[in-house]
Amino acid sequence: MIPDSAFALQGLVKRFDTKVAVDGVDLTVPAGSFFGLLGPNGAGKTTTLSMAVGLLRPDAGRALVLGHDVWRDPVQAKSLIGVMPDGVRLFDRLDGTELLTYQGLLRGMAPDVIDARVTELLDVLALTDAGRTLVIDYSAGMKKKIALACALLHAPRLLVLDEPFEAVDPVSGAAIRDILTRYVAGGGTVIFSSHVLEVVERLCTHVAIMANGRISAVGTLDEVRDGRTLEDAFVAVVGGRVSTGSELSWL
Amino acid sequence: MALTFVRLKLRVLRNGFRGRPGKVILFVIGLLAALFYGAMAALLFLVPFLPDPPDFGAVIPAFGGTVLVLGWILMPLVWFGVDETLEPGRFALLPLPRATLLRGLLVAALLGVPAFGTLLATSGLAIGAGMAGGPLPALVAAVGVLLGLLLCVVVSRAVTSGFSRALRARRTRDLAAVVLAVLAASLGPLQYLLSSGAQQVGTARLTAVADVLGWTPLGAPYVVGLDAVHGHWAAVAARLAITVATVLLLLWWWSSSLESAMLGTSGGGEVRVRAATGTPVARFFGRTRRPRTAYGAMVVRELRYWVRDVRRRASLITFAVIGVFLPVVTNLGPSADGNIVAQSVHGGSMVLVGALAGLGIANQFGYDGTAYAMHVVTGVPGRVELRARAVAYSWYIVPLLLGLAVLNAVLRRDLLQLPVMFGTLFAAYGTGLASAMHASVWAAYALPENQNPFAINTGTGVAKSFLAMAAWFAGMVLALPVLLLVLLGGTVGAALALPVGLAYAVGAVWLGLITAGDILDHRQPELLAAITPRT
Repeated sequence: MIPDSAFALQGLVKRFDTKVAVDGVDLTVPAGSFFGLLGPNGAGKTTTLSMAVGLLRPDAGRALVLGHDVWRDPVQAKSLIGVMPDGVRLFDRLDGTELLTYQGLLRGMAPDVIDARVTELLDVLALTDAGRTLVIDYSAGMKKKIALACALLHAPRLLVLDEPFEAVDPVSGAAIRDILTRYVAGGGTVIFSSHVLEVVERLCTHVAIMANGRISAVGTLDEVRDGRTLEDAFVAVVGGRVSTGSELSWL
Repeated sequence: MALTFVRLKLRVLRNGFRGRPGKVILFVIGLLAALFYGAMAALLFLVPFLPDPPDFGAVIPAFGGTVLVLGWILMPLVWFGVDETLEPGRFALLPLPRATLLRGLLVAALLGVPAFGTLLATSGLAIGAGMAGGPLPALVAAVGVLLGLLLCVVVSRAVTSGFSRALRARRTRDLAAVVLAVLAASLGPLQYLLSSGAQQVGTARLTAVADVLGWTPLGAPYVVGLDAVHGHWAAVAARLAITVATVLLLLWWWSSSLESAMLGTSGGGEVRVRAATGTPVARFFGRTRRPRTAYGAMVVRELRYWVRDVRRRASLITFAVIGVFLPVVTNLGPSADGNIVAQSVHGGSMVLVGALAGLGIANQFGYDGTAYAMHVVTGVPGRVELRARAVAYSWYIVPLLLGLAVLNAVLRRDLLQLPVMFGTLFAAYGTGLASAMHASVWAAYALPENQNPFAINTGTGVAKSFLAMAAWFAGMVLALPVLLLVLLGGTVGAALALPVGLAYAVGAVWLGLITAGDILDHRQPELLAAITPRT
């Protein structure tokens, strides 16, 4: 059976103490799609993606990567995805080249393949000079880029990226967008979380909006927008407060 | 203002316990242990004030106090770390005068299980002085006890922040290690006096040493009660002055290192650029001949991390210091001849050190912090992971243990003992490594993501190290068969010690790898959660 969904989440639930962070998320990411996961802070985006890639054990539910259950068949599933977690440290006492090489070796790649890809990735991401600097001395944007390079290195079929555009300058952002667009055009699938609506609107074919641990709206970009701008659709779904103009008058 | 810090610390402590029953239980165990040992020590401190004290009674305050102060200096460095619940860097942006900050941090530091235990222990001095001499000596002794507590807390803060600064800088790193070694070794003569003194040196010599100690800050605050009972008021004044001056001096030192601790968290510092030669893979492995696989890569990364990570470096140095110091002291003891007691003491010290060596990896995942997520998303097999880590750690520790055994044999002038020593030492290292492996999978804990290698999180640090101590104990107990073979086996046992010890070690590590590795395969996300600092 060839699944036409690259990534399927079924009834994922996660509780922390008494708080329900993710409350039954079902999501199907079609193969070859560029999928944006939107939501306000604290909606449960990071928790959902962490459960989907094997970083956080769900209380209930399943996550399937190209038909492989991440929690039952982790070896197969994990070899098919590239992950860029957010708010996670890297092995930052290695320099950029060492870190990428290390990732490649962990994935069991052949040394000559690693050599070629590491050099090329560093070049494309404009990190060649930084390849000799310890990652601990990188700026936030450079750390994002090297983490993305780690996720791309083994040419996965599916990329799961948590906040790839946060803290990235416009030039690097354009480079990342370019790489991802080409990756999708080549048959890969990308799912990423973001609250930069403008980037999502420009890149994505499919969008899901999360709020309070649930998926509130999902579909192709046009379905979710439904004639509005994405921002209006987002605010309508999430339900933000409307300014009356009288608050913070002391500022 | 200081009250605000107290409330802040209590609040942070309480929030840390919320929804974590295990943490609460560990904390209560720590508290009970402090109560027990504190009460025992308090009774001991009462002895010199009894109506008819034994000969050695008079030296108890000076020696007991010295042990306490030295403990406060050394324990944070070698074992517990300091409780940085209120980390100075967090206050960098607030408009607080330095004096206020210092006072607040000091008061907050006084609030903890170790400080409570110390106060309880030394309270025996004040009670005793009251019983023997009435209210005035009791008051004097109480002042001494409080000053002593202040001294203990300030000295531990000042020393750890001084050392963490020195260990951070490349230039002073080695110097700091040497100073640490000398400091730890200074416990040696004291321990020697305590263990052998009572029988051999005689009470007169002990009293002389106690007299000297009483005039150093180490003993001064604890002796004033006895002085007051005997009516030596000039001595009381002088000793209190010595203590106060020392506390002030240490406060000044701490306050100057505080400044750099606050700057340290806001980044900066030199950018390290490294030389580039060859292709990425060739560069990664350098001159090592490890296999170009995930296993080889992990060994190389671990080897680098033991050198590049300040925390790991500090723990290696600390082990080297204790490892040299502990058996040397037991061997310089009174009876270095061939009787069975001396042999057990000596063999026991080998087991102690061997198992302690294994303990270095008891929180190996905690060192990595959330960077471990890379191994989780890659799906590194547990056995491979643990094997790589054990091999890399042993790369540094095994030569150290070899050197240690040789040093001991030379000191005992008995090189023929060497095979036996190797046997016991490595058997204990193997079992210690195996139990530490399990501890690292089951009882990992998060380390704060700051630059102080001695910092630990919140008030549970003491309790957490009980788990490490349990692993140490388990390692020693598991190594007992080899020790018994050496002690009771006569010449046959001595001949078999080396091969049996090595085989035993290999077997223990292999078993530990297999069992802990399989558990790790099922616990990766839980382990990651355990080592993620809660912010």
